[in-house]
Amino acid sequence: MMSLALSRRNGPLARALQRFMMNGAALAGSAILISMLILVATYPAFVQHRPNDIDLLALNKGASATHWFGTDGVGRDVLARILQGGRVSLMVASISVAISTVIGFLVGALAAMGGRTADAVVMRFVDLAMTLPPVIFLLVLASIIGAGIPQTVLVIALLSWPVLARMVRARLLELRERDFVVASRGMGAGIGHLLWRHGLPNTTDILLVHITLQVANAILLEAGLSFLGLGVPPPEASWGNMLNAARSTVVLEQYAWQWLLPGAALVLTVLAINFIGDGLRDAFDPRSTLN
Amino acid sequence: MRFRTIASSLAVTAALCGWLALHPHAAKAQDDLTLTGGFDVGPGGFQGNFNPLAATGGFTWLSLYFEPLIIYDEKLEKVIGALAESYEVSSDKTSYTFHLADANWHDGKPFTSADVKFTIDLAKNGATGTVFAARLGAISAVETPDEHTAIVRLSAANAGVPDALTKLLILPKHALSGIAPDALARDSWWSKSPIGTGPFKFVRYVNDQYVELAANENYRGGKPALQRVINRYFENTASAVSALRAGEISFSYVESNDVGAFRDNDAFRVIEGKSFVVNYLGFNQEVPLWKDVRVRQAVMYAINRDAIIQSLYGGAAEPANCGYVVDRLIPSDIEPYAYNPEKAKQLLKEAGWDKINGDKPITLLTYYNTPLAANVLAAIQAMLAQVGINVVPRTVDTPTYNGMIYAEKPDPAQFPLVYAGLQNGPDPSSINVGLNEKQMPPAGSNFLRIRMPEVTAAFDAALTETDGAKLDARYQDVCRAMNANLPWATLWVANRYGVASSKLKNFAWIPAPAGGPYAAHPEKWSVEQ
Amino acid sequence: MAQYCLRRLLIGLGMLAALSVLVFVLLRLTPGDPIDAYINPAVAISPGEMAKLRSELGLDQPLPVQYLAWLRAAARGDFGFSLQHNGERVLPLVAGRIGPTLLLMGSGLAIAIVVGIATGVIGAVRRNSATDVGLSVAAFLGISSPPFLTALVGLYVFSVLLRWAPSGGMLTPGATFSMLDLVKHLVLPALLLSIGHAALIMRYMRASLLEVLNQDYVRTARAKGVPEFWVIAKHALRNALLPVVTLIGSTIGIAVGGAIFIESVFNWPGMGLLLVNAVETRDYPVIMSATLIIGACVILVNLITDITYAAIDPRIQVA
Repeated sequence: MMSLALSRRNGPLARALQRFMMNGAALAGSAILISMLILVATYPAFVQHRPNDIDLLALNKGASATHWFGTDGVGRDVLARILQGGRVSLMVASISVAISTVIGFLVGALAAMGGRTADAVVMRFVDLAMTLPPVIFLLVLASIIGAGIPQTVLVIALLSWPVLARMVRARLLELRERDFVVASRGMGAGIGHLLWRHGLPNTTDILLVHITLQVANAILLEAGLSFLGLGVPPPEASWGNMLNAARSTVVLEQYAWQWLLPGAALVLTVLAINFIGDGLRDAFDPRSTLN
Repeated sequence: MRFRTIASSLAVTAALCGWLALHPHAAKAQDDLTLTGGFDVGPGGFQGNFNPLAATGGFTWLSLYFEPLIIYDEKLEKVIGALAESYEVSSDKTSYTFHLADANWHDGKPFTSADVKFTIDLAKNGATGTVFAARLGAISAVETPDEHTAIVRLSAANAGVPDALTKLLILPKHALSGIAPDALARDSWWSKSPIGTGPFKFVRYVNDQYVELAANENYRGGKPALQRVINRYFENTASAVSALRAGEISFSYVESNDVGAFRDNDAFRVIEGKSFVVNYLGFNQEVPLWKDVRVRQAVMYAINRDAIIQSLYGGAAEPANCGYVVDRLIPSDIEPYAYNPEKAKQLLKEAGWDKINGDKPITLLTYYNTPLAANVLAAIQAMLAQVGINVVPRTVDTPTYNGMIYAEKPDPAQFPLVYAGLQNGPDPSSINVGLNEKQMPPAGSNFLRIRMPEVTAAFDAALTETDGAKLDARYQDVCRAMNANLPWATLWVANRYGVASSKLKNFAWIPAPAGGPYAAHPEKWSVEQ
Repeated sequence: MAQYCLRRLLIGLGMLAALSVLVFVLLRLTPGDPIDAYINPAVAISPGEMAKLRSELGLDQPLPVQYLAWLRAAARGDFGFSLQHNGERVLPLVAGRIGPTLLLMGSGLAIAIVVGIATGVIGAVRRNSATDVGLSVAAFLGISSPPFLTALVGLYVFSVLLRWAPSGGMLTPGATFSMLDLVKHLVLPALLLSIGHAALIMRYMRASLLEVLNQDYVRTARAKGVPEFWVIAKHALRNALLPVVTLIGSTIGIAVGGAIFIESVFNWPGMGLLLVNAVETRDYPVIMSATLIIGACVILVNLITDITYAAIDPRIQVA
């Protein structure tokens, strides 16, 4: 009985949080990410330029008092575009990961809990999705539905769910044989109940880690898509299409602020998210405190 | 896995890097008289195409080993003889008599009028995958009274035929007559062992990497100074520019943004030339937005073309108030549409823009995907927004663009406004296909469905004009009609650039549309050691 | 086991067929067809002529007819002609790209494996030391940087500025073939390619080794007095490598697809570049064949990996 009272304050999630707090890198990552999110959300308050305002008289200017990060090829303020681009990139990444997580979880759960035939069919489908070379899938899909924010979200979402489905299936298969699940099913629990009360809580760690790492991946994917001319099209700013400027040697050499700064923002954010994801993975692993 | 193995592999890798650093990559762009360049870089190039009948670009390279009957000079001003030393035109312009030069094919066989007839027949035969069929449609017969004379007879006078003939590269009958026309396009002859009459002959093609030519010692214009010419393929212009800067190639087309890196460098020579492509905003006549000419005028007044040219093109473009920028084709009494946003707002108010569209977004479709184009579109968007026209640029790739505008039942809502370019020279009749009412798809490329009687009449008059002295006046009428009716909001004709190494001597290049052909005299090109 | 293999192979064939239908449908949904890709809008060709060219290529037939025609030819081994590469036969064209792709991916992966495993082991053994932290940060940077940016910057620094490496391509044009020339062109792209993979392998190796080092049998070995070097090399490493092998396996599986960004920046004639160009020009026969070849390779590699697992680890039962 005493253990029950203690367990509420010392449950697995609480312990995980404690371990997370002791991880220096994870804390640094959280600090960076939160600062980035705040900057990106509130930039109109302290940046007086708007990201799409052109100024043909101030092309390619370096950092100055009016333009803290300089201007780009049409005179737009680079700082404003970096922060607006952050909004777009982070939004695209989060939404696409949310979609892919839902799809991945449902598919993986269906495969694990649905019985032998469902498993076979669904996993073959997952295999098919994974055999399609990501290159062509990306390009063809993006060519069909065109460039643009909703399209980019869809493409990235469709690329990332198979891996999660596999991991969820593996975990749930393992779970299915455990006593409490067998007991549950013996008592007549339906598949919805099984997934919600038993499946979801026991896959939280996989999901959380996957989500954080996938957000990082999605930001990189969006950058890559924009680099190829798909993804988010200009004049809307995104970190990816700002990096596209680096293709020209003149920009690479002489106007480095136009790509170096968005690149740094992107790498920093992805780095922070990776630190957090790694911290989460360590936090959920009970054996890590043994070291 | 043993630590020793890992350590030794790391050591080997480090040593390799060190060795490479000490032996800097020394692939020279030219050694023993070889010129390596990116001849198919840029809009005039067509990588991977070796069939002149199907070529919509890449003529700069193709004309190194193939030749046409007549060709433009290296300034793209007049037509001079190539495989035809001279030619006469009958007074009613329905008969062209070509006197052929004394030349041999690369395999030694003589070039005769039979080859001319063979080539023209192939070019008119749709089964071969030719893109010349329509342009040469007016040709009714080719007569070959003797081996050195070919007479081309037209069913009706057509000013476009000589221009088309400057692009038609003559092919050897003895090598190709054995191949069925519908299998011609797929034959491996083109990329393995083509035969031409030009100053260089084909050696090999390494798939997607480069094409190599060697000097044709028996060329009728003299033995070439170079031993080899290599055309290196690049994924995009930026890679070509990198290779140029690294000294691996001696020549390439470069984007106007990149010119700055080469201008002050003595090792390079910047070549500037007119693009002969007029950029315009095309009004889709199938949507109600642009029916009122005042709206179209407002668009012209709202865009500050001079500011865009000065800042984004660095001054290297000429504003266009009709389809032409050449002085002799522009009458003095046309409206210059100087930048006047107030007037634009006034015109829109008079036309009732609020009721026509208000500030609903209008898609501005384009296929130009260079950073410069993106900047230009951003500027245009901002300028039009200032007067109350809300356009949203949308860049798609070329096949998507062509698929949309040439669909059997096109959806006008997808392209109410386009930002595009059309070749307007050196022959001014080139823009007829985009503006004449008779040129609506499928007969021609008037995909905006322009039906403006004044414009159509002016073009028809110019195309059928038989008196050479009156031609300029006819095209001035076309200019006037375009300027008054505004089927397009004509913007500018930009310059294009190439950069060549200073070590190249006698090297001629201009950014001709589709790459030419033009008389570059490749046999005179040489490399300073 | 044999039955299992056979079953998987048959399923694999079925998946290839499904893949071909999927790709075919996706391609036809893409706006614009090969003729549209051919025409430069500034040098106009009339749609009437384009229609004629289309019917020459059979592109105006109804979709199922086109697919069946392709399928019948493919079953005979005739994968058609490339529409963009001047009528070259597709199979030799695609097959000719496999070599350079494997060369690039192979060298990149080899470097990544060596560097990744080595640094992962060092990081785990010297846990939380300055070396470990430094390596971890480097690894994180490697995973967090967009590959095309590292490629562009790398190309600029090492080729244009320092002139240490050629600016692209696989061999010097016009020169006779030499191994040295090939290696010179290979070094930079392979190194840049290995960055991301090495970083990932390092992290997995480190995490896995750390976990294994906590196992009881390792503690026993240490207690027995086995030197630390042998504890790691002989006992821990082999077990720690399992997840790393999984990672390497799945990376190899997609290796045949090439690395589009690196190939694009360096103009390396690999599958990735071929596919990118083919999609840009809507070269249907090339896209179909390349996709199927890559798909076949992935299926094969997956099968081999699964069988290897079952062979190694008796706890794993193949489904």
